[in-house]
This record gives sequence, C-alpha cells and structure tokens, in this order.
Amino acid sequence: MFEKSLYDLIRGLRNHKGNEKEYIQESLRECRKEIRSQDMNLKATALLKITYLEMFGYDMSWASFNVLEVMSSQIYGQKKVGYLAAIQSFRPDTEVLMLAENLLKKDLTSPTPVVITLPLVAIPHVVNPSMANSLLSDLLPRLTHSHAAIRKKTIVTLYRLALVYPETLRPAWPKIKERLQDENEDPSVTSAIVNVVCELGWRRPQDFLPLAPRLFDLLVAGGNNWMAIKLIKLFATLTPLEPRLIKKLLPPLTTIIKTTPAMSLLYECIHGIIQGGILDSIEGTTEGEEVARLCVGKLRSMLVVEGDPNLKFVALLAFQKIVTSHPHLVSLHQDVILECIDDPDISIRMRALDLAVGMVNPENVAMIVERLLRQLFEAPVATAADDITNDRGMHNGVEPAADSDDEGAGEALRPAERKSSLPPPLPEEYRVNAIRSILEICSRDTYANLSDFDWYLDVLVKLVKACPTVQPSSTNDDSLSDDSRDNRDISYAIGRELQNVAVRVKSMRTEAAAAAQFLLLTDSRDKLFPAHGNGGRGVLGYCAWIAGEYAPFLTSPEAVLDSLLHSSTTRLPPPTLAISIHAILKLVTHICGSGMTWTPHRRTTTALLLAKTIHFLEPLASHPALEVQERAVEYLELLRLAAEAATGHPASDEAFAEPPLLLTQALPALFTGMELNPVAPGALRKVPPPADIDLDAPINPNLAAILRAAEEDDLSEELQDGFEIFYKQRPEGIAISDSAVSAAARLEAALKSDLSSSYQNPSPVEDDATTARRRAERRERYKDDPFYIASDEDSGSGSQMHRIIKNSNGGEEIDIDAIPIMDLELEHGELLRAAAPAKKKASRRRVEIVADENLGGDGEDASRPDPVRPVPARGKKSVLLVDSSGLGSLSLEGDSGGTLDIEQREAEEKALREVERLRLEMQRASERIQAKEEGVVVRKKKKKRGKEGDAPPVAVEEGVAAKPKKKKRQIDMTDAAVPA
Amino acid sequence: MINAVLVFNNNGQPRLTKFYTQLDTSVQQRLISEIFTLVANRPNSSCNFLPLPPLLAGSSTTPSPTAQHNDTPSLVTYRHYATLYFIIISTSTESPLALLDLIQVYVEALDRLFENVCELDLIFNFETLHATLAEMIVGGVVVETGLERVVEGVKSQGRVAKRPTGDSGVGSLGRLGALGREGIWVGR
Repeated sequence: MFEKSLYDLIRGLRNHKGNEKEYIQESLRECRKEIRSQDMNLKATALLKITYLEMFGYDMSWASFNVLEVMSSQIYGQKKVGYLAAIQSFRPDTEVLMLAENLLKKDLTSPTPVVITLPLVAIPHVVNPSMANSLLSDLLPRLTHSHAAIRKKTIVTLYRLALVYPETLRPAWPKIKERLQDENEDPSVTSAIVNVVCELGWRRPQDFLPLAPRLFDLLVAGGNNWMAIKLIKLFATLTPLEPRLIKKLLPPLTTIIKTTPAMSLLYECIHGIIQGGILDSIEGTTEGEEVARLCVGKLRSMLVVEGDPNLKFVALLAFQKIVTSHPHLVSLHQDVILECIDDPDISIRMRALDLAVGMVNPENVAMIVERLLRQLFEAPVATAADDITNDRGMHNGVEPAADSDDEGAGEALRPAERKSSLPPPLPEEYRVNAIRSILEICSRDTYANLSDFDWYLDVLVKLVKACPTVQPSSTNDDSLSDDSRDNRDISYAIGRELQNVAVRVKSMRTEAAAAAQFLLLTDSRDKLFPAHGNGGRGVLGYCAWIAGEYAPFLTSPEAVLDSLLHSSTTRLPPPTLAISIHAILKLVTHICGSGMTWTPHRRTTTALLLAKTIHFLEPLASHPALEVQERAVEYLELLRLAAEAATGHPASDEAFAEPPLLLTQALPALFTGMELNPVAPGALRKVPPPADIDLDAPINPNLAAILRAAEEDDLSEELQDGFEIFYKQRPEGIAISDSAVSAAARLEAALKSDLSSSYQNPSPVEDDATTARRRAERRERYKDDPFYIASDEDSGSGSQMHRIIKNSNGGEEIDIDAIPIMDLELEHGELLRAAAPAKKKASRRRVEIVADENLGGDGEDASRPDPVRPVPARGKKSVLLVDSSGLGSLSLEGDSGGTLDIEQREAEEKALREVERLRLEMQRASERIQAKEEGVVVRKKKKKRGKEGDAPPVAVEEGVAAKPKKKKRQIDMTDAAVPA
Repeated sequence: MINAVLVFNNNGQPRLTKFYTQLDTSVQQRLISEIFTLVANRPNSSCNFLPLPPLLAGSSTTPSPTAQHNDTPSLVTYRHYATLYFIIISTSTESPLALLDLIQVYVEALDRLFENVCELDLIFNFETLHATLAEMIVGGVVVETGLERVVEGVKSQGRVAKRPTGDSGVGSLGRLGALGREGIWVGR
C-alpha cells in the first residue's frame, strides 16, 4: 500500500478542490490503519497527518494511546511529533494521561537539552493536580540546568503547575526568587521570571513587596523594554499597598516617559501611573500637577500626532481610566477626543463614546450630544451584509479548502497595506450604544448636567428616528422585564426618558405632552419614525401614558385620541397596547368630563366619541394577552355605562343643563386623585413591617391534619356537589345576561336582587334537607382550610352580577378603618428638590426637577432584604480562562499560610464536569426523542440504555413520558370537543 | 497571560492553532470562525484590537471595579501580513502594544528560518511553526523576545525543512526583510 507523507496529504488536499471532505475522510481511514502499524516511522507520519487535520476540527481523541506510543519513541524527530500531538489533542478527560506521567519524568531527566524541552513545553497543556505533585520533584532540579533556555522554560512550567497545584510554590518559589536575585543570571531568564512574577503579582501583591528593591533596580538598569513593561505593570499592583514606592518610582517613570522612543513602553508607563493610583496620591502637589500634565499631554500627542489607530485606541483606553478620577483633566482635551467619535474605525469610536459619557459636564453636554446626533443621521445604515452574524463563517464553520497555488499563498508576508477606505456604515450595535450614551449623558444624576429641557425633548424626539430596526423575537413581550426589553429595543429607553422628563420636570410638562402628542399623531408618525423597519415603536407606550396622564396639557386631545383609536394601535405589542387602552380611557374622561352646560350638540359628540371608543375596545375584549383583555373588558363596561348615561341625560340649549354626573364626577375621580411622583427603587423595601405580624407563625396550626382529612374525604361526593354543579349545570341566566341586557339594566337588576335575596336566605334549589345538613357540616369542617373554596350556597340562582355584588356587599361587613395603613409621611419629607446646578450662571434657567421619593435616608437599607433581587450568580467561566484563583489562598512568605483544599476543589470540579456531562447527555437524549417521534425507535434506545446500566435513566423516562403524553393530548382534545 | 495564538489566512483557513487551555476541538473551531468573521470585516485602516468575539464576550464576568486584573481573556490583538492573520488572545496583564511587537518578532523569526517566508512554507511546515512559537511562549507566558535566540532555539532542534521546490511556482516572493526594519514600535 502506498503511504502518504504530510507533504503528500497537503498536496492531495490542494488537488482535491471541491471534494476535500471525502478526501480527508479517506486519508483519516488510511491514518487509522497506518497508526496501528509496528513501523514507528509510519506511525509517526500518520500521527503528524491527523494532528494537521485536527487543526481543521477533525477529532483525534481516538488516537491518544498512539500519541503516547510515538512520544516514547527513541528518535527525537518522532518524539517531537508525539509531543506536538499531545499538546494539540490531550484534554482533561484524556485517560492515557496517567500513563504519560512516567514518560514525562524520564524525558525531563534526559541528558539532551532538546529532549528536556519537549516535556517542559508540553506539561502546561496537560498537567493536572495529581500529576503536578509527582512531576514537581523532577522539575525543580531543572531550575539550575546549565542551559538558560531550559531554566526559563522550567520557571514558566512551574508557574503553570502552581495554577493547578498551588503547593508547588512552597518548594519552588525560594528557588525562583534566588534566580531573580542572581545578578549574573542570563537576562532572558530574568525576563521570564519577571513575566511569571507579573502573573502571580496581581493575585497576591503583598507577597512580592520584599522583592521591590531588586525589581526597582531592574527597572532602572533598563535595556530590556519588554521586561520594563512587565515591571511597570507589576509595580502598578504593588503601589496601592506600599505608598512609599510612589516617591521612588516617580523619577524613573518620568524619565522614561520623557526619553523613551518606544511607544509601547511610554504607554505602559502612563498606564502604570494611572493604574497604580500614583496620580491620585500625588494630587495637589506641584510635582503631581506636572506628572499629570505630562501624562495627559503625551496621551494627547498619541491621539493627534502619530495618526496611528492603535495608539489612538490605547490612548483612549488610558483616558478612560483617568476620567473617573480626573474628569477635568480629560475634558481639557475634549477637542481631540471628540474627533475620535467620528473616527472611521468602529473600535476607536466605541472607546471615544465611552469616554464622552465619562467627561460630560454642563458646559459640553450639548456639544457632545449634537455631535453624536449628527453622526447618527449622516452615516448610512448598515446593511444585512455588514452584519457579522450573517457571515458564512458563522453558519458553516471553517472547512479545510484546497487553495490553489496561485491564490497568493506564495506571497511573502508583508504587512497589509493600509488603504484609506470610506467611513463604514454604522453597525446597529454602535447606533444603540450611541443612543444609550446620549440618554446616559443627559440623564446622569437626575439631569444634573442639563438646563435646557426644550432642547432635550427635541433630542429625544429626533432619536426616535434613529432607532434601529428590531427583529421580532419569538418570546412573548409580556415575559420581558424592562431591562431586557431595553436591551432588545433602545426605543423603550427613549420612551422612558420622555416619561421621566414629563413626571419630574413640572415646568416642562406642557412641552413633554406636546412631544408625546407629536409622536402619537398618526399624521406625523411618518416623519418621526424610521422610514424602514419597525424601529422606535417602543416609545409609543410611554407617549400614550404621558398623553393620558397629562391630558389637560395636550393641545388637541381629540386628535391624540383619534390616533390612539386608529386600527394600527391594535397591532402594537401587548404591553404597549395595554397602556394605550388605559390612556384612551383617561383621554375620553378628560374630553367628556368638563362641567360645561349639556347641550344637545355636546350630547351627540359625546355619544359619538363613546361609541367610537367602544367600537375600538370591543374586539380587544378577546385579545390573547390577558392584560389587554382585562383592561378592555373593564373599560368597555365603564364606557357602556357612560354612553347610556350620556344618551339618556336630558340636554338643553337654553338654560344651564347639568351634564351627567358619571361623566363629570365618577370617571374623573378614577384618575385625578394624587399627583404621581417618582419613587426611589428601594423605598418600598424601607417600609418597616408591622410589629404585630409574625411571619413564622403558621396560619393554621393543624394544617397537616386538615390535609389528611381532605384526602380521606369522599371525592365522588365532592364532585357531585361542587364541581358538577359549577361546571356542568351552569345556570343559563348568565349567558343571557352577558350580551342581551344593557349594562345599566344589569346593574339595576343586580341591585334589586341584592335587596331581595339576603345572605341568610336559603336558595330555592336547596330544598333537600339532608344535602343542606351535609353541606353545613362540611363547611364547618373546612372553615379554616385555605385550600378549600366554599361553594356558593346559591350556585343555582341569580345572575353573575348578582353574585359579585352580593359577595362584596352582603358578606361580612368590612371595617375600612380597621385596615392597617402605614403613614408614609411623604408630605413631611422634601417632595421637591431642586437639582443644584453645578455652576450658577446668569443665563441658566433654573429647572425644578423632582427627585425620587424615599423613606428615611438615601442609603440602601439592609434591614429588609429585597426578596426580588437576584442573588449574584457565579458567572460562567470564559472558555479560554486559565483559573489562577487557587493561588489566592497560598502565602508565599509565611510557612503555612491559608489552608489548601486542592483535593476538595478537584472533587468539586470533577462533580461539576459530571453534572455538565449528564446535562449534555440529557439534552442529546431529548433531542433524539424529538427528532424521532416514532415509539419504536424510542423503545430501542431504552433497551440499549438499560443494557449499559450506568447511563442515567433520563432518556428512558423521557421515552416513556413521550408516549402517554401524546395519548393524553388526544383525550383532552376530545373532551374539549364535546361541549363545543 | 496569553490564552491562545492563532494563525489563519484570508479565507479563514487555520494555519496554526495553539490554545493554552484545554478546549474541545469544536469550541476551538467556533472561536476561530468567530474571530475570523470579526477580523475579516475590518478595513485595513482600523486599529489592531478586536472586540471580544461572542464566545468570549458572553461568558466574561464583569470584573469588580477594585481589581485591576483577572483571569478573563479581555484582549484580542491581531496583525495582518499578506495572506495571513496572526491573532493573540490574552488577559489584561499583557500590554497591547507589546503583543503587536511580539507578533512581529514571531513573523521575523519565521522569515529568518524560511528565508523569505510565505504562507506555503507555513502550510507545509506547520511543525516548525509550532516549534518557533514554543521558543517564544510556554504555557501562555512569554519566555523569549530576542529574535536571535528564538531562531537559534528552533535551529538547535534540527534542520528546518524548506518549502518543496515544486510548489514555489509563484514569482512574487518579495523579501520580508523590509518588514523587519519597519516594525511600528521600536519596542525591543
């Protein structure tokens, strides 16, 4: 048989353009055969080939034992292939790892340096705690190997060992420290140690303070910029612990900043000064001023002079770090920073945008916002092709493709030319970010930066047009919280800002209402909302709320009502629709409720208006969203009553005629009570619980006994009396009264029947004495049972309305005064708090802004924990994360620092992996079942699983559950069909 | 520390994948394709820092404001040479500009080893590609930045195979030496 080398494989791949997949599969088959051969050369070649294919995503875990075989080869070339394959393919669950341990030990003690290097490089990729423990003794002597290359690699390998097995550092750290202190040590080894110390440093900075003198010497000696960068990074973590270091560090750092030609070192110096808190601690001194000016000046020159996008990017990052502590320093350079907001590179723009949010003040707020607005409206909208999720790479993954020789693969590697290209269209993510930034800039600290609310409202209205299109999601809008809705559609955030201004800034209410009206009117919607897509729709709900709540401020409430009653409103998402319905009622109340004389003309218009509204609401009474349905049904009843009152009320042209009281008094009283004020998020939690409530005391002490009694109770009897009567023998009166009788008539009838039938009177249905007695007995038994809802005594008679009224009036007399009401004492607290403007200017208008209402102090009250607030969940680990948290508990200086629980941690991790594996298995099992609904297939799986024995019974359960469920559904359907 | 080093060409074909954590092959492939998508959409005038790909951004926990560093990879640095993209994923303990220099050293070392390196060399000698990287980065920590020492280290492991002559039918194999001199920052 003809055997292929790696070269042949790659050539072959390139010659099989179009059907690479088959070619690879065929090659893999060959490799499987070759790798089993006794010829080591053939084995190694096959391994090299599958390692190459692994790069393209072809699993090679099946070959792990062969990897081990090749690793143990005596020939260096083959050994190298084996180690490479191990690095690339071994995973934590690779079982042959145990067997590899001895081999690694053996190679570590090899006399040939190149052979020692192999395990040194491989160990970081494969090591686990138990292995680390056993390898440690072989690794430590390598720290004094005669080759510098071996020494430095050993140091790094020991660091990786320490990550999984922190105990490593106990014997290793003194030796590493010795290497570091040795001035005759090879500089590249020292540099590697510094790199490792920098990684260790941020976990336990206090342990590295004793090293500071030596590290300082290394920094001052200079010569190696790479090392200097790491040293500065390390010092930045040490200075917060040892403030005296700052004084010592400043001179060399400023010298470097002033003299170094290396931009990377310059940048890290500035970054270190910021990061290490040096800027804060020397603030106020002349020296501090000088350093700060020097740093910021250098950063400015990175932005302007160099014209290099990378320098721009990192300079903005550094500015971002200063802006929180020294906003005034940064805003001195707002000219160049704002230039970056218009940079063609989106990464730079994003950074600049973040920065702009940080450096905003009352003086520059308008300028920054205007700039962002201009950008939002001038840039072309990103097309679907620009969206990275539409890229082929996302859908197909990367397949190895044969690239022909003339495709440029032979081109020497030169840096790609920097071509100037047109400003890219703004991706949606950026648009959303920009809008969010504008909102944040303006609303910061309850509008502390804002004085001109006219302008702000104008900005908000403009922003609606810039909203990107939102993909309709499959999830129901009802289930989304405010936050998640904001994340999906920025227009909700804009709407909330409008609402916020309307509520908080009383002097601007007219303008806010006008803005809401403007956005609501169907005539102007074309102009204000994005021309394409459905962007900006989220603002409508908030506008409707403003229009309803502040109806008196509207210039033309009738027009707004017309727009809300437009058929397009019914297509809005359910939460918005529910708010709109509420607003409609408020508007109707406002329009109809004036106390002016009741002329025939007014009577007609009112009746027309009410009829129109009723017509709009009627279809919504069967809306699938419950919130919408409920409101529609309630308001329909109210409006029907109102319509009746309006048509029935005598009107007069001459004398003053009183309009119907329902319109002028009853309906407005529903909405005009107290002014709505913003309430602080934590205020509700601060309401102290009543002293006489003991939440731990059981409501019913003998609940268990009752439950037992309920179980023993005869179910059939129950069915007959309660359920049967309620569900099967529905009194026909209900159905009739529902539609035919007018609302007023029903109300009257209800009142009448309420008078006639009293609570004590037995219903005519209950003529059987024995039944009555039995019921009375049971009622007595279940008097305190919270699970038992007493059946209506008169379930056979009376209309629905009757029952409702009776239950609320005829029942126990409710003593309203007895309901405990906490006096919130809101009036005593300061209701209005003028937002103190940062600087008083003659030209600035003082605007009263209502702050959040709260009880007591502003601080969070810990006395009552928030029942809703989610416990901060432990975040999922990032896929690439190398966990170094184990180091945190190990003290390098003390003899026995924190106690180590390596084994426990290991066990925990193992358990977690197991859980994850089971979860995946369950998921796969359920997917299989979904894919193959056929019962036969499921049963087959079940058998197979049963044989394996150790597999979780999930799949079986699923399989069993799947069948009866289907059956059950059928029954349900037939059941449902019967009454229909 | 450095979490991964990737090399792929303009079509997203991987030429080198090195992850300093043990990762499922499928996850590796997903990450490569995500980064390729990000990088391929960037104009050449953009800066060399990528936003985090969805796979990394989604799971990254928000770092506490007091801590300067954490273990989460937060930096994706890349450089584009002719047909190849070189990518380094790292945590905040690495300096972004120094990483760019590091890629430069890597490419220069390859250029020395192959005498005028091109993508074809790397395709056929992916072992050497790995060996060179192992001289510079071990277990995610930089061990060597000196060009001479890196080249020396690789050469000590044996002769570096040249690209098969039959494949070098391409004429435009310009020198890469120019590239070595025009490193953006004299960081070394």
